[in-house]
Amino acid sequence: MSVAAPPTHAAARAVAATKIYGSGDTAVRALDAIDVTFEQGQFTAIMGPSGSGKSTLMHCMAGLDRVTEGQVLIGEVDLSTLSERDLTLLRRDNVGFVFQAFNLVPTLTAIENIMLPMDLAGSAGDTDWVDEVVSATGLADRLKHRPSELSGGQQQRVAVARALAGQPQVIFADEPTGNVDLNTGAEILGFMRNAVDEMGQTIVMVTHDAVAASYADRVVFLVDGKIVDERTDPTPERIRAHMNQLGA
Amino acid sequence: MLKLALRNLLDKKIRFALTTLSVVTGVTFVVGTFALTDSLRSTFGDLAQDIAGETDLTVRAAQEIGNEADRPTMPDSLLDEVAAIDGVVEASGTVQARNVVIVDGDGEAIRPQGPPALGMNFSSRVFFLIEGRAPVDQEFVVDATTAANNDLQVGETYDINGPVRSQPFELVGIFNFGSPDTNTSLGQTMSVFDTRTAQQFLGFGDRLAEIRVLVNADVAEVRAAIGAAVGADYEVITQEIAAEEQTEQFQNVLNIFTSILLVFAFIAVFVSAFIINNTFQIVVTQRVREIGLWRAIGVTPKQVSRSIVVESAIVGLLSTAIGIAVGMLVSLVMRAAIRASGFGLPSGPLVLRPRTVVLAVVIGLGVTMIASIVPAMRARRITPIAALSQDHRIERSGWRRRVAVGGAVTAAGVVCLALGMAGVGSTAAVLALTGIGALVTFVGLNVASPAIARPVVRALGRPVQALFGMPGRLARENAARNPRRTASTAGALMIGVTLMATTSVVGASVSSTIADVLSDAVRADYFVRSEASPFDPATGFPAQLLNDLENRDEIESVVGYRVAFGGMVVGGDSRDVVTADFDTVERHMDGDVISGSITGGDPLTGIALHVDPADDLGVAVGDTLEATFPDNQTDTLTVTAIFADAAIYGNWLIDNALWEQHFGRRDYRFGTAVAQVEDSQVAVAEVTARYPGVIGENRDEFREANQSLVNSIFAVITVLLGLSFVIALIGIANTLALSVFERTREIGLLRAVGMTRRQLRRAVRWEAAIVATFGGLMGVVVGTVLGVAGSLATPDSFITTVDVPYATLAVYIVVAGLAGLLAAVLPARRAGRMNILEAIAHE
Repeated sequence: MSVAAPPTHAAARAVAATKIYGSGDTAVRALDAIDVTFEQGQFTAIMGPSGSGKSTLMHCMAGLDRVTEGQVLIGEVDLSTLSERDLTLLRRDNVGFVFQAFNLVPTLTAIENIMLPMDLAGSAGDTDWVDEVVSATGLADRLKHRPSELSGGQQQRVAVARALAGQPQVIFADEPTGNVDLNTGAEILGFMRNAVDEMGQTIVMVTHDAVAASYADRVVFLVDGKIVDERTDPTPERIRAHMNQLGA
Repeated sequence: MLKLALRNLLDKKIRFALTTLSVVTGVTFVVGTFALTDSLRSTFGDLAQDIAGETDLTVRAAQEIGNEADRPTMPDSLLDEVAAIDGVVEASGTVQARNVVIVDGDGEAIRPQGPPALGMNFSSRVFFLIEGRAPVDQEFVVDATTAANNDLQVGETYDINGPVRSQPFELVGIFNFGSPDTNTSLGQTMSVFDTRTAQQFLGFGDRLAEIRVLVNADVAEVRAAIGAAVGADYEVITQEIAAEEQTEQFQNVLNIFTSILLVFAFIAVFVSAFIINNTFQIVVTQRVREIGLWRAIGVTPKQVSRSIVVESAIVGLLSTAIGIAVGMLVSLVMRAAIRASGFGLPSGPLVLRPRTVVLAVVIGLGVTMIASIVPAMRARRITPIAALSQDHRIERSGWRRRVAVGGAVTAAGVVCLALGMAGVGSTAAVLALTGIGALVTFVGLNVASPAIARPVVRALGRPVQALFGMPGRLARENAARNPRRTASTAGALMIGVTLMATTSVVGASVSSTIADVLSDAVRADYFVRSEASPFDPATGFPAQLLNDLENRDEIESVVGYRVAFGGMVVGGDSRDVVTADFDTVERHMDGDVISGSITGGDPLTGIALHVDPADDLGVAVGDTLEATFPDNQTDTLTVTAIFADAAIYGNWLIDNALWEQHFGRRDYRFGTAVAQVEDSQVAVAEVTARYPGVIGENRDEFREANQSLVNSIFAVITVLLGLSFVIALIGIANTLALSVFERTREIGLLRAVGMTRRQLRRAVRWEAAIVATFGGLMGVVVGTVLGVAGSLATPDSFITTVDVPYATLAVYIVVAGLAGLLAAVLPARRAGRMNILEAIAHE
């Protein structure tokens, strides 16, 4: 699908985005009129205590879920106007995903997993770009392997490569290092950082790990469905201190 | 444990329902069959009692040899002898013949489908007139059902084809048979004449079939007195024996019917067992973590396996109960259908005998529990560590062992098959060897099939991938993902397809044999037969027809043939007899005579036989044989020829003249004619047109008629086998639903990264298509091998040419694949509807 070049530099943004679960007395406001913009070429971390709505925000922004009120835009496309099918195509063509675990289809090889969104679209993708992404993963010799033959870190790098391969407008990562050891985590975060710096990609990452968040350009803090604060140029210490202050 | 088992069942209602459905089908089949046949049996038992109840004693010729239709007759002078005996109140002679066919007002022959068309003489004790009067000379009366179904009117004259000739008779009355209130002719047509007319028209001359006696003294004493008076050539039977014989005859027919249905029920149950086994295997695999947790908190392995067994017992019991209920319903419907199709069937209660219930429980509960044993044993081996492990799989037995065991079993089956094909031992042994070989081969292949599932399925999936891109690729990979599951899902389908393919090969071979025999061994130009059921051993047409045909200038010669199964005893065994006219038959048929000559054989003392019995008995041309016929007479016959082709004459051929000395039947079963001139078709048509219900065909028509008969028999078998195919499809739907559930997270991921619902549904559907095609392919391969083996093992009188119907077999594979697509519609839809977020978060 074609997306008109955005007049602003927003890769994705939410306007008064509200998400309410349930109804009546039991209604829960998971997102409460959130306004947030994710700039192109920026690495943003969303932090917050459990139940703060950070995952809900990510799901709504990524087109996996719909907001109850307000707007979510990827580029200039308002997701609330899209049919289920168009939303799926938007995810395929304009959004990249990295989940905490189970990122890869076990029956497909590493390279097939990387190419998956493009194969689903029936397009060959930008071969030079894909080559660049693949070589950046450092897994060129393991591309024919299946996920079960790769280490946890390698699997996550393949997942990041898949998210990058289609040159989406924005990549959403949900605790991408939640399931790997510290060194591997650092490796993956470095890879993501690199994707933003060297390849000009836009990444939004949900995490509760201060160290992980410190790789981002900007950290957005969420409490009770509201953005309570944000920091640029974060360090782990400052983030930790801030989180403590928020009572996480 | 009961609580756990129950909870597991309720959690998975759809799976539970599908699993139950497959068992229910098998149980329904069994219960329906028994309830129906038991009901018919009891109804008929009562009826036979009623009819026999009108007679105290029956006198008839003693018969040791041959069919009831060939019971010898008695002179009517015997009637006076019997009537004169003390204690006899009334003695009446009866005559009865088959193939007495009324031609209705439209010139159509009235042929019951299955039951015989009888000609009889009148007796007011069994024929209760409801219209008109009793017949006298050259008149007849007919049963109420036949009259109503064919609009026969009292006062009209109708042609009737008798065993000897066709003749017009006036219809003077209509009766209820067996009871004054309802006609219980059971689908038979009954043309009833006065005794003299019946004797003449039915070919009895001045003879009688039976004498029915009413007594006013002690029945046993009168019986003894009659016995002494008529001598050892005759027997006197009581009404109990008569009723028993009647019932027994009917039972024999019913038993064949029951056996056939039970074979299909057995197949259905066998397929269900596969599905149940597969379902429990998958369920155990999916619950490994949960079971591991139970084990960790102190549940013993025994308790684990017991919970699986309890779960299967609940499924089994419920299926049995539903199956019994549905089975009763089905038999009610079937009985109503039989009644609606014009059988004069008296009503009675539906019979559910304890035996039926016991069998239903054994099958429903037993099969379900047996099929769950292996999964239960596997569940036992799950350790507490499994609860913590990332990998959900249980270690499985090695491929190597599987291939070795499966290969060995298959090899054993193939050896049996080979022995069968080589024709070791008697016909029975050959067929038994082939049958056992087939079963063993099948089991062996099923053990080994997981080992071949992956490569074959991947190959089958290649075009799907080429056609549909990534969804096709996923379908292919998922089909190959779990070879054991794929193999056993496909295995259920394979059973039905194997049998269908076997049937097709045998059917095609029979059909080709007919064509070959016709072109190689049959020289006649025209063929005459009755359109009655070819399965009725006494079917036939009036002998006069062939004379009419021979009198035409366009016809050079005719031959009439008669058949009596077990109609002769030679060397202590009963033999099937075929008759022809020795002097002309070789111009009509080529039986591959290898020694002597049929032409020129003495009609009254000659006999020709096949080389196999000739070898068994050690006789050659010129030797003599002692042959005993149904009239208890023994003739010394001289072997005039020995032939090698059993497809034409069977094993034993005598002349019609010899037949007429020993058998009462005068109609012909079959006739052939050789043309004098090219344009003779019209002459044949003119002659047969005078005998409605008799068909005259040229070579092409005759071949087509025979082939279409064979085809329709095999089509019926295929339809019945199709039921197991349908059950197998339920199995595919079931397995796929489970697989989809198992892959919830993966599906969530695929949807998140942009797989559309349509693409997802397509992937699921084509996965099923690949698995089903695999099942179809295996079934066709195995079925073809078995069909060829079976055809080779079948005696040469049925199959000499083995023919593989490639087009039909290809259709089976395609249909299997398409059926797989269809079976997957619901699981695919469910997959498509999955909530992405929940799916991603699924454990």
